[in-house]
Amino acid sequence: MVKPLFPIAVITFKEGIRNRAIYGISILALFMMLINFLICQMVMRDVGKVAMDIALSTVSFTGLLLVFFVGINLMAKDLDKKTIYMVLARPVSRAQYMVGKFFGMVALIVASNLIQGSFAVVSLFILQRMYANYFLRFSWLMFFLALLFIVLMLILLTALSFLFASFSSTSFIVLVLTIVSYIIGNSLSDVKALVEAPQSVGIHPSPITVKIVQAAYYLFPNLSFFDIKTQAANGLAVSLSCVGWTMLYGFAYTAVALSLACFIFSKREFP
Amino acid sequence: MITFENVSKRFKEGFTSRKVTALDDLTLSVATGEVFGFLGPNGAGKSTSIKILINLIFPDSGRALIGGQDVGNKDVRRLVGFLPENPYFYDYLTAEELLRFGGQASGMDSAAIKQRTDLLLTKVNLDKARRRPLRTYSKGMVQRAGLAMALIHDPQVVILDEPMSGLDPLGRKMVGDIIIELKQAGKTVFFSSHILSDVERFCDRAGIIVGGKLRSVESLDTMMASGATLENVFLAEVDKAGQKEVD
Repeated sequence: MVKPLFPIAVITFKEGIRNRAIYGISILALFMMLINFLICQMVMRDVGKVAMDIALSTVSFTGLLLVFFVGINLMAKDLDKKTIYMVLARPVSRAQYMVGKFFGMVALIVASNLIQGSFAVVSLFILQRMYANYFLRFSWLMFFLALLFIVLMLILLTALSFLFASFSSTSFIVLVLTIVSYIIGNSLSDVKALVEAPQSVGIHPSPITVKIVQAAYYLFPNLSFFDIKTQAANGLAVSLSCVGWTMLYGFAYTAVALSLACFIFSKREFP
Repeated sequence: MITFENVSKRFKEGFTSRKVTALDDLTLSVATGEVFGFLGPNGAGKSTSIKILINLIFPDSGRALIGGQDVGNKDVRRLVGFLPENPYFYDYLTAEELLRFGGQASGMDSAAIKQRTDLLLTKVNLDKARRRPLRTYSKGMVQRAGLAMALIHDPQVVILDEPMSGLDPLGRKMVGDIIIELKQAGKTVFFSSHILSDVERFCDRAGIIVGGKLRSVESLDTMMASGATLENVFLAEVDKAGQKEVD
């Protein structure tokens, strides 16, 4: 059952890591880390906070580019160009194909984040030496925790894109659905708080709107759980139980999305 | 070795609820060690039949078997090597990596993969290009890499969808030689082709399919017993089926 996953994951990883888009994304990350020095010189206030914020935002942004433009393409090209025929012609089930592909993509996300993360580490390390007084509340532990949460969020988003790819006929639809889910997933928490306590901002949402927002809250992933950039930048601690629950939530949502993707994919035909 | 039992398949036409028949009650058997040519005009149902054998699409009714097992069972594909029409592989992989993937996914060990890779890449004349990314290959080279990929695990049944497509005369001869070699090794070969002379050269039997319906299955000797060419037989069957123009 598990054996065929490895070769599929390996070719997915190789195909992804050799894609020129990866070089572009890495150069962009490097460029943004260099800009970090420039901005910190200009700000000269809360330098530690600004530096951490820019470094983590860069890793998060380039990770999203990877998922949206390399990850989705890796899956969609298999379907568009019928490369999937050569995989499914082997003693490999569709679920094994899906899970193998997913693990290849996870390896790609981890490798890419190691590269972008190391750029961030170098830039923060130098800035810490340059402006030591502004880095008194700086915590490497929080930085690496924020990095881990970015990786988890990207993995969850990948599982969601696989779910969309399991029934969509074009990569464009998968891309649009994944971007929309990302936007909704990041803002849903705030919208739910607003519609559930409308008096605080003086709005009057209809009961149906409240129900729709509440339903969407449980349907879409709450990606704001994974965003601890503000806490990391301000040197605020995150409780161990919060870390545990967030990780559990990420793994559970990913597992459900991927299982659903495998189920739909196993019924799909490839004419 | 290959059996279609009353297989029918219809596809939805665009967004309408109208359905077109791709295969209509196909019943056919190919014996072990036989080289079988599947002939038909474009859209006749050749590729649909092959995709059902590989379980890429599912029959609406009837069933397809390979080695006595339903093609829905993934383990059947250990027995099968498949070359799709106009194959497309991963751009950034090399031929060597492609074959390693094929071998590993078929459950072969590293030593066997290495030995088969060397043998097959030499056979399809890609030995010198084995470490080049597949995106730098010409159409004919991709086709030959696909053939090596289909044969990496030394399958008992080889299914080739238009194997000569995109090949120059040298490439066609090479594929022809491989089919003859497979026949001598006792393998079952099922291939579709538009090129009638190829079917004449390699096949023991041929089937002619038009409009999703199998019109004729005969040994080549029987088909051409009256001195008719395969082309005459083919055109007569297409004409009988009411398809005046073959597109």
